Amino acid sequence: MFRDVTFGQYYPASSFVHSMDARVKLLLTLLFLVGIFFVQSFVVYGFVAVFLLTVIFVSRVPLRSVLRSIKGIIVLLVLTAVINVFFTKGADAAESPLWAWSPWNGFTIEIYVNGLKTAGKIFLRLVLLVMGSSVLTLTTTPVDLTHAVESLLKPLKLIKFPVHEFALIMSLTLSFIPSLIDETDRIIRAQKARGADFDTGGLVKRAKAFVPILIPLLVGGFRRAEELANAMNSRCYEGATKRTCMRVMKLGWRDAVASLLVVAFFAGVFVLYGMRGQWNFITWLYY
Amino acid sequence: MEIIKLDNVSYYYKAYNDDGSVGSAMGVEGVTLSVEEGAFVALVGHNGCGKSTLAKLLNGLLIPKSGKVTVNGLDTADKNNIFEIRKNVGMVFQNPDNQMVASVVEEDVAFGPENLGVPQKEIVARVNEALEAVGMSEYVKSSPHRLSGGQKQRIAIAGALAIRPKVLVLDESTAMLDPLGRKEVLEVAHKLNANGMTVLLITHFMEEVLDCDRVIVMNGGHVVAAGTPSEIFNNAALLDEVGLKAPRAIELSQKLISAGIDVAQQSDARALGGDVCQKLKN
Repeated sequence: MFRDVTFGQYYPASSFVHSMDARVKLLLTLLFLVGIFFVQSFVVYGFVAVFLLTVIFVSRVPLRSVLRSIKGIIVLLVLTAVINVFFTKGADAAESPLWAWSPWNGFTIEIYVNGLKTAGKIFLRLVLLVMGSSVLTLTTTPVDLTHAVESLLKPLKLIKFPVHEFALIMSLTLSFIPSLIDETDRIIRAQKARGADFDTGGLVKRAKAFVPILIPLLVGGFRRAEELANAMNSRCYEGATKRTCMRVMKLGWRDAVASLLVVAFFAGVFVLYGMRGQWNFITWLYY
Repeated sequence: MEIIKLDNVSYYYKAYNDDGSVGSAMGVEGVTLSVEEGAFVALVGHNGCGKSTLAKLLNGLLIPKSGKVTVNGLDTADKNNIFEIRKNVGMVFQNPDNQMVASVVEEDVAFGPENLGVPQKEIVARVNEALEAVGMSEYVKSSPHRLSGGQKQRIAIAGALAIRPKVLVLDESTAMLDPLGRKEVLEVAHKLNANGMTVLLITHFMEEVLDCDRVIVMNGGHVVAAGTPSEIFNNAALLDEVGLKAPRAIELSQKLISAGIDVAQQSDARALGGDVCQKLKN
């Protein structure tokens, strides 16, 4: 039942974005995530949204799959929006509330236009953040992501950070998820066959019912780990020393083009941010 | 030439008794044997007879407590030899899921050569060659967990082959497979052997032993017998003692012979059936 969860969200297709170098995609996504925080107005949010939709279109991932990623944070979205609507005061003392209600003395609920604006911007910011990062995971396999992380963290070797081991742990985790899920499934069925009840009772009872699943899973995990260690030793594993790598990551023209576009776009965003309030002709951008 | 030599080798495990004291449990004791280069040797015995301990002694995963294991003339007890030894002895274990290190077939096969520091271009060549040898070339980019048990074990064999070993040890590699998967793995093992690879097949399926050059029987941590498959199968007393059974067809033909019916002793049930029919006609 869990089978396909494991492949993360990767959406197999061949597109410009899919065939880009995972390292470049990762870095550009980071730039996007940081860049979003420098956007101050609805108009610029609009630009970013159009930009992101173009990227999604180019990646040939259906918009539906990208939007699905928002489902996971819907509660967070609504909560932050509501809190911002009610708790943001006016932009200055002169702004009068759009709506106010005082159920009892000394306690007033006020909604300002400024609050609605802030809530809208935060909502957009979160939606764009999640959609942007899911474009990365939708177009890059977990394996490629691991390699990208390993390659990008390489400079940390200078401060003795075990980059290779870190990446190996990541990729082993990835490759063991399917078999651990199978095993969980098996254990659940075995315990059900012995009369275990996972579906009734209060929260505490249900939580307790999972102990007979977790313990065999944990024990099995250790057994697996030992067998894996033996298998790795038998294949001459001795850590990062002198190790080579089969996979070569090469930067191509796509990476250059994409980097240029994304960097130029966000350079624009940063410039606008730096000059906010300075030039009158761009103040409309700050509506 | 003898590629693997065990000279009076013993290994004990730590055992934790119920009263909290630490004792020792025997793995193997006083084992002396050798494997000729290019041979196909089977190691049989019941669960807990020391087969897997013996396998782990062969590539230095375990170091003998007494006695000496040499691979290609190198002593496994010497730490400086360990990688040279592991390069010579490829090992495949029982559970295919627990020996996969990557979630893509080609990366899993590449793990060994990557560890050895083989240059990138040669790794690709080795991976292709190894997958070719086990007949799994078309699965280069697949994810191992979608393959069948037999296919996974063939990938594991390819992973061992990519190191270019002289000896391939299959430590109960067929135990968890269905009959079809077992057949696949055995066919690969025999094919590799025909191309010069020394194969040591550890198993408790007697049918798998039939086509081997030599059979070594273990019981209770000791080697109790060694010989050709037919020598072993004809030694009923020995098989009884260690709790193993000759393949059905052999057993039947033996019984027929001892009942005075003149059939050839053989492992092939079909041929035996033909023989019996012939006798009945006469």
